[in-house]
Amino acid sequence: MSVTGSEPAIEVRGLRKSFGAKEAVAGVDLEIAAGSLAGLVGPNGAGKTTSLSMMTGLLRPDAGQVVINGLDVWADPVAAKTVIGVVTAEARLFERLSGAEMLEYAGRLRGLPAAEARSRAGQLLDVLDLAADAKRLVADYSTGMRKKTALGCALIHNPPVLFLDEPLEGVDPVSADVIRRLLTRLAGSGSTVLFSSHVMELVEQVCDHVSIIDKGKIVVTGTTAQVRGGKTLQQAFIDLVGPRAGDEEVLSWLGSSSS
Amino acid sequence: MARLLVQLKLRLVLNALRSSTAAQTSFIISTFFAFVVAVGGFYLLAQFRGLTASVDLTTVIFTAFALGWLVLPIFAFGLDGTLDPATVALYPLRTRSLAVGLLAASAAGAWPAANLIALLGVTVGLARGPLGLLVAVVAVVLQVLFCITLARLVTTSMARLLRSRRGKDLGVFLFIPIFALIELLGQVIPNAAANGGITAAAFAGVDAWMRWLPPGLAAHAIQDASDGHPGTALARLGLLAAVIIVLGWLWVRSLGRALVTADTATGSSQLRGTALPLARYGLRGAVAARFWIYQRREPIALVYWAMTAVIMAVVSASTILGSHQHPAVVIGSAVVGAGFVGYFHANSVGLTGPSFVIEALALTGRRSLRAYFSGQDIALSVIAVPLLTAMCWVLAFAVRNPAQGVPATAVALAGLGAALALSNILAVTLAYPMARRAGSPMPQAAQGFGSYTFGGILASVAGVGVAVTPVLLVAAFTSTAPAAVRTPALIICSAAYGVALAWAGVQIAARAAEGRLPELCQIAVRSTI
Repeated sequence: MSVTGSEPAIEVRGLRKSFGAKEAVAGVDLEIAAGSLAGLVGPNGAGKTTSLSMMTGLLRPDAGQVVINGLDVWADPVAAKTVIGVVTAEARLFERLSGAEMLEYAGRLRGLPAAEARSRAGQLLDVLDLAADAKRLVADYSTGMRKKTALGCALIHNPPVLFLDEPLEGVDPVSADVIRRLLTRLAGSGSTVLFSSHVMELVEQVCDHVSIIDKGKIVVTGTTAQVRGGKTLQQAFIDLVGPRAGDEEVLSWLGSSSS
Repeated sequence: MARLLVQLKLRLVLNALRSSTAAQTSFIISTFFAFVVAVGGFYLLAQFRGLTASVDLTTVIFTAFALGWLVLPIFAFGLDGTLDPATVALYPLRTRSLAVGLLAASAAGAWPAANLIALLGVTVGLARGPLGLLVAVVAVVLQVLFCITLARLVTTSMARLLRSRRGKDLGVFLFIPIFALIELLGQVIPNAAANGGITAAAFAGVDAWMRWLPPGLAAHAIQDASDGHPGTALARLGLLAAVIIVLGWLWVRSLGRALVTADTATGSSQLRGTALPLARYGLRGAVAARFWIYQRREPIALVYWAMTAVIMAVVSASTILGSHQHPAVVIGSAVVGAGFVGYFHANSVGLTGPSFVIEALALTGRRSLRAYFSGQDIALSVIAVPLLTAMCWVLAFAVRNPAQGVPATAVALAGLGAALALSNILAVTLAYPMARRAGSPMPQAAQGFGSYTFGGILASVAGVGVAVTPVLLVAAFTSTAPAAVRTPALIICSAAYGVALAWAGVQIAARAAEGRLPELCQIAVRSTI
C-alpha cells in the first residue's frame, strides 16, 4: 500500500513476525513519502510496536524488507541507523544520568563532537522545557519529562527520519503542544516522521497521512482526508476495526441514587 | 478491623499460591526457610543450656532477631501490601482501630510464627524452674511484640521514602551488610569454630551494653527469674513493656501523619555538574564516562564492588581467624576477586536493560563496538585496579604474611584483564534478561535464565584461574630473586599481560556482537530492572 507523494522515505514490504504460534505482524506493506508526518494507528495488540521495532532495526523480522532513505535496514543496518531517530513506547533512558548528561551522551553516541553535543543538548532542554530539571537524575523524572527527554535523544543528531511509538502517552497538554509543534516543524523542514498513537484527535490534527493497522496488517492507508472519508478519524477507525459490544445493561445500578 | 486486616494478609498469602509459578516457588522457598529458622532457632537456643555464657548468647540471638525485623520489612515493603499505609489511606478508618488491625496483620503469617517458635528455645536453653519457664514465655511474647512494633514504626515512618527511588536505593545498599552477615554466619564463623578460633566461652560478657536494650531485657529477665530474683525479672519485663507502649504510641502518631500526608514525588536533589566527563575522547570516552557515572550513582554497581571485597575477605578469613595458615590464600582471594569482577559485569546488556537500545542504535559497526567494550573496561578498571590491589595488601597484612602482597597483586592485575575479556565475551554470547523481583532489592536472572548465572560465575572464575597460571609460574620461579628487581618487574609484566588479555577480549566481543545487536536489544528490552 502506498502513501502518495514524492520519493518514499520509508518503504516496507511483506514484513512478518511471529512469536511462537502468534503472528504479531502478518505482512505489512507501507510507503511513506519524504517530508510526511504520518500516523500509524491501531487497537492494542494490533502490531504497531512490533512493526516499528522491525522498521528501526531493533527486532529481526521473519520476512520482509524495510528501506529507509534508500538504505535497507536489514541488509545494511550500519548505514540505516545513521539516518533514523527512535522514541520507543517506554522511554528507554539511562536512569542514573541527569537529563543534560543523557542528551549529551546520546549526541556523543551519534558521533557529534563534544562541544556540539553539549550545545545541542542545552538547546533541546530549553525547547522541551526541561532546562530547570537538567541537573536532576532521569530516575526522578515524571512520565512526561521522560518522554520529552527520549524525544531530545532521538532528535539530537537531526535525523532525516524519525520513528515515535506513542510519543504523547502520559504527557501533559502543554508539553504535548511543544512536542506537536516540534514534530510539525521537523516534517515541514523535509524530515519524515512516523508515529504510532491511540489518540485519534492528535493524529487527525497533525498528520498528513494515516495508516490503520489491525491484526498485524495495514487495513487502510492514505491521506488523512482519504482515511476519514467524511467522518471523524475516531469513527472511521471504529468502523474499520469493529466496535466493542455494549455492557451498559449490567451496570444498571451505576449513577442511580440508591447505594 | 483487626479481623479484616488479618483476613487481607491471609488472602494475599493464598493469592501468592494461586498466581504464577515464580510466585508459588518464591512462597514455598520463603515458607521452607521460615520452618528452618523456627526449628534451627529453637535448637540453637536450646543448645545454650548449661553454658556459662548462655544469657550472653541468648541476648545476641534476641538482638539479631530484632535487627532482622528492623531491616527485612524494608525489603518486603513492596511485597506486603499491609505494610504500606497508603493502601488503606483512601478508606474511612480511625487511626487507633487501624493500628490494632495492622499490628494483628503483622503477627499473622509464617515468619512471625517462625520467630515465636524459634525464640521459645529459651524455655529449654535458659529458663530453669517453673518461674523461669513462666517468665520465659512472657519474655518471648514481649520480645516478638517489640519486634513487630519496631518494624511497624520504622516502615510507617519511612513509607514515603520507601515508595520513592531513594527508598529502593536504600534497600539495595542494605544488601551489603546482609550479604556480609550471611557470609559471616555461613562461612567464616563455622570455619573459625571448626578450627578452634571461636568458642562459646568467648561470648561471655559480650552483652555488657546489649543487656540494656529491649532484647537484652527479655533475655536477662529469664536469667533473673531462673536465679530466684523474681522482682528484678518483673522490673525488666515492665521496662520492656513500657518500651513497647512508647513505640506503639509513636507508631500510632506516625500512622496518623502518614494517612494525611501527600505522597509527593521523590525529593530529588540537583547534581553539581551537567557535562559528561571524558566526552571529548570520542565514543570510547563517552561510553567510559557513562559507565563511570553508573559505577558511582547506581546502587547495584556499588553493591557489586562491596560484594567483591567481602568475597575476597571471606576466601582469606579461615587463615585470618583460624589456627591454620594457608601459604597462598591471598593469591586465592585475588583470583576469586578478579573472577567476580568479571562475573558481576558479564551480563552488561541485561543489567543495562531497555536503555541499551539507545546505545545499540548508535553502534554502527565493529569499530564502534570495540570503542563500546573498551570504554566499559576503562571505567571498570578505574575502580577495580585500586580495589583489588588494596584488598590484596590488606589481606596480606591480615594473614601476617605481607610478602604475599606482591604475587597477589600481580595475579589480581593479570586476572582483572582476563575477567574484563571474559565479561565482554560473555556479555555478547551469554546475555540474558534480568528481573527485579518483589521482596529482593537486587536484580536477578529472569525466570528460566538461572543457569546462565551459574555459567557466568563458573566461566569467569575458572577462566581467570586458568589465565593467571603463567603469572603464578613466574612468581614461583622468581621467588628467590631480589625484591627490588622482582616486585616492579612482576607487577608491570602482569599488568601488561592483563591489558593484552582485555584487548583480545574487546576484539572477540566486538566481532561476536556485530551480527547480534537486534538479539541483544530484545534481551535488554526483556530486562525489568
